[in-house]
Amino acid sequence: MGIKTFTILLCLLSPILAARPISYSGGSTLMGFSDRYKNSVYYHYSPTFKYSLGIEAITEKQGDGDHAYARATYLLNRKNTRHSQRNLYLHSGLSSRGLDEHFYGIFGDWETRRWFAGFSYQHTKTRKGDYDDQYLQLGVAPYVGEYGDLHTWLMIKARNNTGYDSWSVYPVLKFFKGGFLVEFGYHPKAEWDIHLVRRF
Amino acid sequence: MHKLSLILLLVAAPGFAEIADQHDHATHQHQISGQQVEFDEPRLNQFTNGLGSAQIAVVSVLGMVCDFCARGIEKTFKRDKTVTKIDVDLGNGQVLIAYTPDALVDRQDIEKKILANGQNVTDVLVKKI
Repeated sequence: MGIKTFTILLCLLSPILAARPISYSGGSTLMGFSDRYKNSVYYHYSPTFKYSLGIEAITEKQGDGDHAYARATYLLNRKNTRHSQRNLYLHSGLSSRGLDEHFYGIFGDWETRRWFAGFSYQHTKTRKGDYDDQYLQLGVAPYVGEYGDLHTWLMIKARNNTGYDSWSVYPVLKFFKGGFLVEFGYHPKAEWDIHLVRRF
Repeated sequence: MHKLSLILLLVAAPGFAEIADQHDHATHQHQISGQQVEFDEPRLNQFTNGLGSAQIAVVSVLGMVCDFCARGIEKTFKRDKTVTKIDVDLGNGQVLIAYTPDALVDRQDIEKKILANGQNVTDVLVKKI
């Protein structure tokens, strides 16, 4: 069964939810992701809220086959206030193809119940060459939901993958409720950008 | 160079995180006397409606800005057999926790559990009803 099929099954069999790269202490998260470059399924476990360890299984869409990353994400800095939270993370991954294929990067976000801003920079090294993937994302919640409600975010994302594109800007729609999140983005050039998350 | 960067990230980052944790804990050790808690009386009344005799911890939390942030708090406290009900109030940044009348309600333990979820406690007020 291919990763794409597995991702679709995952979406059908489990209700979809939520998006943080590290869970609470002892929590785990299952993610499915698809865009024009890859399909992936990523599971991570967080021994503490400061870091997570996981495995990501990937099918490259540009003809480079299947492989997996052993991934680690670290919360470098968090600032909590009464109405906001700001995070800065480091992440890295080593490919099952060997040490010569890996990635590392930094990303961060700031959010209130109404506003969201995030960025990411990732450098990836593969047998075919190196590339950078970076994005900026801004969002607004059209309504402020209470705990347990369906939450909706309207976002705009500017993304650049130096291996394939110049910058592209496209809208992103994000919904989450309880432990499930689904995020859709679409650009005529970048195609669908779909992110599904289930937190346990 | 890239390999070196990768190794440095893997080795050094948890160290940075640990330093941040110690700083957070020290900052909030002294603040949980219950004197700074302002609570939403109607919401508290709604929460306690039908509970009978209980102890209610009103916990003021920083960084609880979304469902996802608070989900772990609910899960953590639900594991405690002396906890009978939980309410998360994102708007006021508060968590209401109902304990059995004979439970030992430890403010430091509440702070520790919420810190383990990635948020900070500013104060805890315990009321008996």
